[in-house]
Amino acid sequence: MNAFLPSPATIAALVKIGLLVGGLMTAAAYLVLLERWIAAWVQDRRGPNRVGIPLTKIRLFGLGQPLADGLKIILKEDFTPKHVDRILYNAAPLVILAASLAIFAAIPFGSVLPPLGIPGLPDPVPFLVAPGLDVGVLWVFALSSIAVYGVLLGGWASNNKYGFLGGLRSSAQLVAYEIPLGLGLLGVVLAAGSLKLDAIMNAQAESGVWYALAQPLGFLVFMVASFAEAARLPFDLPEAEQELVGGYHTEYSGIKLLLFLVAEFLHMITAAFLIVIMFLGGWHLWGVTGSSQEVTWLGALTRFAVLSGKILAVIVFFMLVRWSWPRFRFDQLMNLAWKVMLPLGLANLVTVAAVEEFRPQLVSTLGPAAARWAAIGLPWLVFLVGWITAGILTPSGTDNTPVRTHGPHDIERDILHHEDRRRELAGTP
Amino acid sequence: MILAGAVTAAAASLWLLLPRGSENRIARRAGLVLGAAALAGFIVTGRRLGGLGEEAVFLVVSLVAVISGAATIVTRSPVYSAIWFALSLAGVAGVLLVLGAQFLGVATIVVYAGAILVMFLFVLMLAQPSGLAPYDRVSNEPLLSAVAGAVLLGLLSLSIGRLAADPTCCAAPARQPAAVTADAAATSDTLAVDQVARLGGELFGRHLLAVEVAGVLLLVALIGAIAVVARGEAALEDDRRLAAGGARR
Repeated sequence: MNAFLPSPATIAALVKIGLLVGGLMTAAAYLVLLERWIAAWVQDRRGPNRVGIPLTKIRLFGLGQPLADGLKIILKEDFTPKHVDRILYNAAPLVILAASLAIFAAIPFGSVLPPLGIPGLPDPVPFLVAPGLDVGVLWVFALSSIAVYGVLLGGWASNNKYGFLGGLRSSAQLVAYEIPLGLGLLGVVLAAGSLKLDAIMNAQAESGVWYALAQPLGFLVFMVASFAEAARLPFDLPEAEQELVGGYHTEYSGIKLLLFLVAEFLHMITAAFLIVIMFLGGWHLWGVTGSSQEVTWLGALTRFAVLSGKILAVIVFFMLVRWSWPRFRFDQLMNLAWKVMLPLGLANLVTVAAVEEFRPQLVSTLGPAAARWAAIGLPWLVFLVGWITAGILTPSGTDNTPVRTHGPHDIERDILHHEDRRRELAGTP
Repeated sequence: MILAGAVTAAAASLWLLLPRGSENRIARRAGLVLGAAALAGFIVTGRRLGGLGEEAVFLVVSLVAVISGAATIVTRSPVYSAIWFALSLAGVAGVLLVLGAQFLGVATIVVYAGAILVMFLFVLMLAQPSGLAPYDRVSNEPLLSAVAGAVLLGLLSLSIGRLAADPTCCAAPARQPAAVTADAAATSDTLAVDQVARLGGELFGRHLLAVEVAGVLLLVALIGAIAVVARGEAALEDDRRLAAGGARR
């Protein structure tokens, strides 16, 4: 074969990349519309319902809105303030969008296609851009930590106090919540025995026990941490518009702002994908999809539909949370990460490790069916105990009475005392 | 021969490019030209990989790694330095991925680019870079460091070139020091299955003691950090009590 012609595997990968990027961008546009509808529904408004097919009077419930939104923001003036660091200012939106898109190289968006019979293609064809990547979960983790650069650089290069504060808040928050996120993830990796996301889905489909049922504590920790990583509402301090105007993208306008906003939406979609794939069984649904690797075309489409439906449900949950929860204060945010989520994540990891280690003994003493229920029951027991302990030990902390700390007056007094003391010491030989 | 020339050119280019007190445009341009020549020399002397695509990807990522590595020490602004360093790490991760060491490649990004450098950037951005003194923004001993780097580079390339030319050396993976290189050597194709499982087996089998010692060391460091912080508060309290005329605890 000519070395310059791409192989069928390369062409398949390119087709998948095209489908994925196109699908994600369209999905992001329509999710914005969905978010506005849900916001309107929660707030008892009508929401966007006017824009339909362009140049006609047909309304179509406002389904043309994403097109109008996109055109508006692209055609707006792309203004660059004089005081910014030009190179980094322009690079930041590219970094964050590239990283958020590259994450999807390791995320499967379905099960497998039935064999196509094309020579050179692996059979069956997986719904995954990089099926050979053995470290899928770590890849996702690595690239989401690269996305922090976009936020940090955007905030710093803007040379603006709001932007800078937003960037700092964001990086502190993302670094702090990466730890509970990783702990929630480790439990699943330990139970599935693989870092590949499609292998994790297959493990859940084979056993029929979704990891949300087997590791409720891990599910809780992962869910909260992914809300924080996506900077969605209870954790949207980096861009709290009432305090920081727009946070790290205060100085951006036009298409660069669009890139930031799309990247943010992609973070939420990524989080939804991960929650569904790792904890909610992926494409598996009891009695609807089979669990084997051999599928018909109908089966492949059903699995794709199940996965998409679950992801949409999680995204709707994200959006409902946005309109029903007030924002955390920054100290509450950090306390939650380090004092509640981290110990709970560790407890989950230890429980999962113990269950996996002693599973053979459980099966041999109790029999397979009882062992299965024991392996589910023990984590739930730990979940309840952990929940109650966290509730008792860390009181809700919602009172806003000022905490007496070592303030400026105390420091002044200290300095005066120190000077007295020094004089005293100097006076005595 | 070409290798020696390339190493010399690299040293001279670094020496010309390293920041000093006054900006010299001609020296800068000469440094850039010499650097390009050095890179070309290294590319010519290097060994070829398998296919054309693999070769091209390797070339791109390794050039990114080397050029941004040089830019890290050449730029004056600390923030830009950190960014270049991050790019260099991304290049290194790309090289590792191309060579089939997937775990090492991704771990490089997670640990260095994702955690350590973000911390650096955090601190650098809090400390305003424009407030630095001029002597903090030029390099100390540019000539010595350029020569030392070039000598190290030449020796490493020579010895690795010899090793690669020797057919007996790389046949036995047991002689490879790190587990990952053994892995990559054993399975030349990039899409090896079970990479992580085998790496884990290696780490927790042959290198179990080293892993445990590293873990204990990290734990000690953690406890030490907490102790320093706690001591800091206690010391403050002591000072306060001392200031108020009391006795040290």
